[in-house]
Formats: sequence, structure tokens, C-alpha cells
Amino acid sequence: MRRILLAGVSAAAVVFTSVTPGFAQNLAFPIGEGAFSWQSLADFTASHQGLQGQELTIWSPWNNEGDATQWESVWRYFEQATGVTVRAGSSPNYEEQARIDIAAGSPSNILILPQPGLLADFAAQGALSPLGPDVQAFIEQNYAAGPSWASLGQFAGPDGTVAQYALAYKQETKSFVWYSPDNFAEMGYEVPTSMEALMELEAQIIADGGTPWCIGVESGGATGWAATDWIEDLMLRNYTPDVYDAWVANEIPFNDPRVVDVINQFGRIALNNQMVAGGTAAIAATAFGDSPLGLFTVPPQCYLHRQASFIASFFPEGTVAGEDYDFFYMPTFESKPELGSPVLGSGNLVTIALDSPAARAFIDFLMTPIAHEIWMAAPNSAFLSALTTANLDVYSSPALRQQGEILTGATTFRFDASDLMPGPIGAGAFWTGMIDFLGGRSAEAVTAQIQATWDAIK
Amino acid sequence: MLDQALYAIQIVAIAVLGFIAYYWGANWVLDRSLATNATMSHETIARRDRRRTRIRPWIFLAPALLLLAVYLVYPVFETLRLSLYDRLGQNFVGLSNYQWAFGNPADWFRSATDATGAPIIDAATGLPIVLNQGDPTFWRSTLNNVAWLIIVPSLATAFGLVIAVLADRVWWGGIAKTLVFMPMAISFVGAAVIWRFVYAYRAAGTDQIGLLNALVVAFGGEPQVWLGIPWLNSLLLMIILVWIQTGFAMVILSAALRGIPQETLEAARIDGANERQIFFGIMIPQIAGTILVVWTTITIIVLKVFDIVYAMTNGENGTQVLANLMYRWTFISGDSGRGSAIAIVIMLAVLPIMIWNIRRARAAEGAL
Repeated sequence: MRRILLAGVSAAAVVFTSVTPGFAQNLAFPIGEGAFSWQSLADFTASHQGLQGQELTIWSPWNNEGDATQWESVWRYFEQATGVTVRAGSSPNYEEQARIDIAAGSPSNILILPQPGLLADFAAQGALSPLGPDVQAFIEQNYAAGPSWASLGQFAGPDGTVAQYALAYKQETKSFVWYSPDNFAEMGYEVPTSMEALMELEAQIIADGGTPWCIGVESGGATGWAATDWIEDLMLRNYTPDVYDAWVANEIPFNDPRVVDVINQFGRIALNNQMVAGGTAAIAATAFGDSPLGLFTVPPQCYLHRQASFIASFFPEGTVAGEDYDFFYMPTFESKPELGSPVLGSGNLVTIALDSPAARAFIDFLMTPIAHEIWMAAPNSAFLSALTTANLDVYSSPALRQQGEILTGATTFRFDASDLMPGPIGAGAFWTGMIDFLGGRSAEAVTAQIQATWDAIK
Repeated sequence: MLDQALYAIQIVAIAVLGFIAYYWGANWVLDRSLATNATMSHETIARRDRRRTRIRPWIFLAPALLLLAVYLVYPVFETLRLSLYDRLGQNFVGLSNYQWAFGNPADWFRSATDATGAPIIDAATGLPIVLNQGDPTFWRSTLNNVAWLIIVPSLATAFGLVIAVLADRVWWGGIAKTLVFMPMAISFVGAAVIWRFVYAYRAAGTDQIGLLNALVVAFGGEPQVWLGIPWLNSLLLMIILVWIQTGFAMVILSAALRGIPQETLEAARIDGANERQIFFGIMIPQIAGTILVVWTTITIIVLKVFDIVYAMTNGENGTQVLANLMYRWTFISGDSGRGSAIAIVIMLAVLPIMIWNIRRARAAEGAL
């Protein structure tokens, strides 16, 4: 009965793609053609035989159609190589579903989540299997800024021993401002290279009768996260990485004057009705994926949109990178050269929640360059990889390649703070605090509230 | 998709057939093992008959009892246990989850600072008093739940009653009642999706896809972010539940109104009572029992309200309610202790109404 209920619930909430393995599979790129590292696939195939007929379940955050299709094109090669049948699932509430699956004792073999904080929880509960020192060594040696990517996947197990539980796969850089080159050309605007120049551009746009920014932070059960990214990006542009790290670890209180200052800098834009398309009120009411569409209307509702690399998959169909839209690195203050070029990013972490030989093989597969290149090359993808052995030439567009190079060349790289903070803060009080801030409460009041919540979970 | 449909049909068929087989089979086994025939002594026959009668109800009750035990009784005790444990349910923490929610009652009505704003020093310890007035979101949710409890059952019952009375007087009353009843068939999440479009907001100057804002703009007003305005937003969410539940109230009350003896109404008319007097003096007292049942039933639904808030605002902008707060703590923050403590609070709030309802139902049966 319980199974029936669970099956009913998941059937309603989840889209499962299931396929029978066969020889006539359509692979995204024919094996042996192009600049791909096909040799790594051949080596992987040779060393991972004997798994035919096994099943592998994967739970990932990739639930929108574009991501799901591109992800499928990657694991098809794994199916082809090993004969394992993959059942990949996701849902818009993937974090909650992952927690429910683990609590119910029926997790998928492979669990992929973009929140290290959540995975640390699972590891402490004993719900994840360590990947072993080989994986750790691999990440440290083969990823750009390897030790930082490796440490993101290191958690304390149920007995307190820290081990490598996760492999980083599919990175995102967040520090981008998107714009339409046509609109810029028409108005004679130039891409700002410093924060000061960006502020001048904002003033110029308003003077010309336009609206500088499109901002939307509505995201169902996760409403507010897009605003936290703004705070994090501004934090890295105003204060040293040490301050950022102390903020994430709550070594400085959340209502530290520096945090309040950064939130008020966001408020300079977000709380000014002239600065944001639709005014402040529209921010919390607009879905994050819909908000950049204002760039593409005629006349444009806005000229600038700050969002991570993945947002390109939400742009209108048929728009071309470099022509219809482009991006620039969110600039730093000329007056603060000592902070260098910080990059804010995030990434997905692949873990084993239900151990099996096929799951181990899948982790091995994701360590091959080909598993990264397939997605890098997918049209309209927003896939970036910090794996240095992956061939940058396969990126589907020059823009994506440029983003990939920003990722591998950052002087300071910091992971999304809200994803690192404990769940009740990073996926709760911080979001709510930003909504309250947009609703008119002061930065002092909301940060004090967030700190109070943090105190209450210590 | 088709796979899932076939799977579901299979499961339903197996479950139904399985239960039929169980009932029929168990009954057959009972009849066979305690069979009687003419060769037996009277005492044996009587004993076997007695025993059969005694065992049979248990056979038929067993599946229901088992399911209730597994899905209702066990979760209650497990929730109670978890509410006394830490976030991962591993270490006993006593009542601290409840203290987190409610705070210290001694702190509720005092301030940590005096009139001048200086901290008050505790005479006993010499340290500034640290107040624990509980979790503000918990209190806000409780307050919202109370507002829901007062507003939704009253409005739904009142509208239901008015429609039930008036619909009988016009020829299109049947059609009106059907339309009012229809939202009952829509799930809460489905209703929330519909009303999201009613309340949707687009920036001024662009096309309003929300019905309410389209109307406001048509009359020359400024579009509003309806779900972002504290207090009004909660009220707008309540309207959705009223919209759903009015049909239920209407149907039950309509049936009750039909049951009023015509003689009492005629007698009142002959005595010169006007319509208003008849409604309040004759009709209402006679269906008072039914009104209470409708009221309490809706009250219980309101106490459990979750879907609408979850799908519409997710509790942001001050619209949080207890059930959604429980969900957030359990599944988003991963703290089963606090989540369970909130669940227990909701259960304790529902319990008196449930008991009262059951008592009433029993009394009504006894009276029949």
C-alpha cells in the first residue's frame, strides 16, 4: 500500500524518462567525429564491461526541457558504453523530493544537487556513500582551482570522518550582466568596464527615458534566491574574500554593517522604481526565468539583466548568442583594485545515494572529458566545465567558451553563499529576508531577523 | 505517461481484487472452520454460532484497522517522538523544539529594555535579560491561522446559506447552484493555479494578464501586486478557500432547508411575520444543528490549509500558515524536530473540534 501511495505521489509530481536500451539509439554526436575526446569514451567502455542489464536511477535538478534533453544526451553515451539502463528523474521541487526519498529509504542511485549544505546534511545522516580518495585526487589535479572544487564535495560522515562524497559537474558562473547588443548600439551605449561606469550607464539610461534593469526573483518554493545572488556578487566587489567566507560561516554576524551596506547597495537599484522595469513591486512578483524577456521586447523594457550563465536557456527561442544577446562580466569598482576579478559561481555535485557497481561506473564516466564535452557542445546549452582535460574547442558558441574561460581564469572564485549556508538560512531566512527587504523593511531589520534565525539553529 | 496510467490501473485492479479475495476468502474459511450441521449437539452449534458472530466483525474490520494503525496511529506517535528529538531525529532534546516555537511564557509580555532603551539587568544574575518570545514566523503563522479560522468558515457558511435560500426562489436557481458547487470538484492546487491568474501582476503599461489588475486598470487604477500587500494578501488567499467551500455549505444547508416542515413557515406567515423574521426566527433555529456541522467541517479543513498558501505565495510576505511552516521546516530546512513540533501543535488545535464533532454525530445517532 505504501508503495502504491508513493508511486502515485511521484507519478503526479515527477516526470520520469525511461527508455529501453537498444542499438539504434540516437546519440547527439556521432562517435569518432569532431574535436571530442572520443578516446576517453573508448577507454571507459573497455574498462567498464559486465554491467549489461543493470539499472541506474538518477535524480537531478535538471527539470526544464532544455536541460533535461541535454543531460539525456550525456547519459545516453553511458548507456551505450555499458549497457546499463538509466532512469533519470527530476522535478521543480527536486530538493524536497530528494529529502523525502532519502527519508523514505528509497533514494536514487545517483543524486545530483547544487546545494553543498543540503548534501552535507545527507552525508551526516549516512545517506551518501564516500567516493574514495581517487576521486578526490582526480578533482584536485584535473579541475581548475581543483582543491576548492574538491573541498566543496567533502563532508563529514555519520561518524564525523570527512571524506570525498561528491564530484563537481556542470559549473555555473553567476557574475554576468546580460544585454542586447542591438539596443546598446541603437542608444550608443557602451559595455561598462567598471562599477562606476555601470552606474553612469544606469543614469544615462534613465536620462534617455529607459529603464536600466530587469529583475525577477519569483521561483515558486525558492522565491528570493535570485536576490541573494545580487548580494553575493556585490559582497565580492566591495569586500575581501575573507569577509565573504566569514559571512558564509557566520563568523561575522549576518547583521554586520558590511552585509547591511551591501544589501543597501542592492536596494539602490531594486528599491528605485526608475531603475527596475515594472518598479520594485514587480521584482518579487516576476518569475526569474521571465524577467530577462524584457531585454527582447520592442521597445525594450530594460537594458540590463544580472544573472548566471544558465539564464540563456530561458531566452526566447531562436535568439542567438552574440547577436540578439550578449553578456559582460559584472564589473568591479575602479576604486577597489585590490579585490581583483572575483567570480561568483555555483555548481552541481554528483553523489551516490544508493551504491551499486553501475553508480560507481557512472561516477567514473563523469570523470571522462567526453561526459563534459557532450554537454559543452549541445546547442543552446549553458554548460560550463572546470575540468581542464575537456577540450574548450567543442563549446557550442564563442560566448560560452568565453564564459568557460572566465571560470577557469578567475583570480578569486567563491561558491554561492546561500547554497553554502545551513538550509534554514540559505534556503529559508535569507530568501524571506530579501522578499521582506523588497517589501519595504530595512536592511538592518531583515539582517537582524536572519541572524536571529541563525542563532536559533546553533 | 501511458506507462504510468497502465501501472496505476494495474495497481487499482490488484488492490480491489485483492481485497475482494480477502473478504470472501476469510469469510469462507471462517464459515468452514466453524461450520455446523445437524449431527452436532445443541451446545456445540450454539457455541460455534456465537464464536462465528464474535470473530466475523474483526475479519471485516482488520484491513481498515491495520491501515489506520500504519497511516494514522503510528505517524502520530512517531511525530510526537520526533518533536522531542533534534533536527535529524537522533538525540533527545526534551521540549526545546516547543520552546523555540512558543518561547518562554514569562517573556511574552515584557521588554528587554526599559523606557530609556537601556537593557534591563536581571537582579539575580547581574546579566542583561535575554528574552525568548518564540519564533516570530511561528507566531505570525498562528495569527494567520486564527484569521483563516474566523473568516473562512463564517463567509463560506454565510454565502452557502444565502445562496441555498435564494436559489430556491428563482427559476435559474438550479443552474446557479451547479455553478457554485463546481469549485468543490477542483483540487486546492488546481484552484490556486486558477487564482494565480486572477491575481497576476504585470508592470504598469504592459498588458495585464491578471483579471483583477485588468479590471483595476480598465477603471483607470494602478495595477497592484495583490499577493505582496500584507493582510490583504492573506485575505485574498482565504477567498479562494471560501470559493471552494461555499458549494459544500450550500448543498448541505439546502438539504436541511428542504427538511423544515412547511407548516411552521405557513404558521409564521399567517401570524404576519415578514421574510426576515421567518428567516432568522423560524428557519435558522431549525437548521442550527446543520449549520454547526458545516461550520466545524470547514473549520477542520481550514486548520489543515496548506496547498493554497504553498502554491500561491509559499508563505512569503506574511502569509505563512502553520501547515506550510511545518512543511518548510521538515522538508526544506530538514529539521524534523521543529517540523514535528508544529505538526503536534496543529493536531492539538484540531483535536477538540474533532472530538466535539464526533460527540455531536453520536448524539444525533442516539436521537434517531
